[in-house]
Amino acid sequence: MDPHDGIAGLLGAWALDGGESEDAAAVEEHLRTCAACAGEARRLRAAAGWVGVGDVLPAPPGLRERVLAEATRRRPPTLLRTLTRAYAAQVELLDEVLGSVGPDAWRLPDPRHRDVRGLVAHLTGNDAMLAADLGGEVAPAADDVRTAWRRQAELLMGRLRDDGDGSLDEPVRLAARRGTPVRPLRDALVQRTFETWTHRDDLAAVVGRAQEAPPAADVRRIVDLSVRVLPDALRAAGLVHPGGGVRLALEGPGEGEWVVPLGHPGPVARVEATVRADAVAYTRLVAGRRPVAALGAAVTGAGAVAGPFLEVASTLGCD
Amino acid sequence: MGPGTRDVQLHERLVAGDEGALAEAYNEWSSLVHTLAARITADHDAAQDVTQEVFVHLWERPQAYDPQRGALRTWLCLLARRRALDWSRRRQARARYQTTAGTAELATHRGQPAVDDALTWETEAKAVREAVRALPEAQRDVVLLAYFEGHTYRDVARELRIPEGTAKSRLRAALATVAHRLADEGILER
Repeated sequence: MDPHDGIAGLLGAWALDGGESEDAAAVEEHLRTCAACAGEARRLRAAAGWVGVGDVLPAPPGLRERVLAEATRRRPPTLLRTLTRAYAAQVELLDEVLGSVGPDAWRLPDPRHRDVRGLVAHLTGNDAMLAADLGGEVAPAADDVRTAWRRQAELLMGRLRDDGDGSLDEPVRLAARRGTPVRPLRDALVQRTFETWTHRDDLAAVVGRAQEAPPAADVRRIVDLSVRVLPDALRAAGLVHPGGGVRLALEGPGEGEWVVPLGHPGPVARVEATVRADAVAYTRLVAGRRPVAALGAAVTGAGAVAGPFLEVASTLGCD
Repeated sequence: MGPGTRDVQLHERLVAGDEGALAEAYNEWSSLVHTLAARITADHDAAQDVTQEVFVHLWERPQAYDPQRGALRTWLCLLARRRALDWSRRRQARARYQTTAGTAELATHRGQPAVDDALTWETEAKAVREAVRALPEAQRDVVLLAYFEGHTYRDVARELRIPEGTAKSRLRAALATVAHRLADEGILER
């Protein structure tokens, strides 16, 4: 018998862990190289997952608390550490770029902050605002802006080091072009990563280095953040469609789908337009570093909604 | 972009240690997991323990689930089945050494109102019931023995006195038919 047929014949049993012990390894090995069997195996396993579901009844009340408590006892939540690490990684990368430029680079013009020096001082100010909101230390002003920025970043990270995930809900100020919206720390930390990366991009453009996207998980968190703050921003811009929403279908690193309520708290009863775009390009739009026309978005549905929606998204950055 | 994007996102958040992601997974799939555990173990406490094991395992070792290989819901359901079968086998082993085996009660909560997430699975549960019921009897017997008793195809063949090759091919055909019907209902991908 063709070995392929032998393995294919086993797929039903395999999907229910009902092969003999020597079969499983052979099946797994075969699935790595045979796309047809891998497809069938995936379908059969999905069906096997459903077979016992005849009559679904709710889990008993009280079990939820028991399960969540036991889970977090065995593995304490680490989101704060994850978000702090993501920020720290961007700090290292920006510091590396700053360390590589000559003394003349500090006076190179920057379109938003006069020069590179102004750009780094602006970033330091926003880092200091979060540190202050958390009751942390604010670094004294220094002539050397790189040292002052780095010192402030270290102080902020130091402030976060001993906190647990409970503090992620603490209200703090976000940096914004106008005003300082108050959001939970989890949002502010994503913003610190986002802003530090964005200014690394700015600096790269000024000194002629290649721009680099952050890791996919960071991109996704930045999109998540934009989706959380967009309904308020849309309302402030007068774009309010009760029950309406826009679907963001983003591709590439950080890909995913999000539905944004049009200026109302949700839920969304109807999607009025779908915007397909590259996820990293979308985050650059949100940073105000890419105009809507350069997003390369494909819009289906109401273009008259998608256009203004993206215009509002492009104002969310804090420069 | 595949339909598993939400699973990819949840997985990423679980790896990041975001307990909100575990709460979301529990809210969405606990009734499925608990129902399977209750049906297989026929024991109220065991069903709760299995449900706990499944979600604690997801939280402690999120890397054990690979979103590229299938839906998180499937993974949770199959893990629940495996753990429930393990429990049933341990009980059988205990029973062999004990003169007084405890009486197992069917632990489905008939008295409780079906609320929350359980209701959201009503359509799926109905489709699954119908898909399994519509199978030719010979196929249904094989798949239910394998599913609920955790039998291998050899055990199934022995129990039903059919050739091993027949047991294997019936399992494959039965699951393919169920997959096909659930795809028709929009519950599974093609």
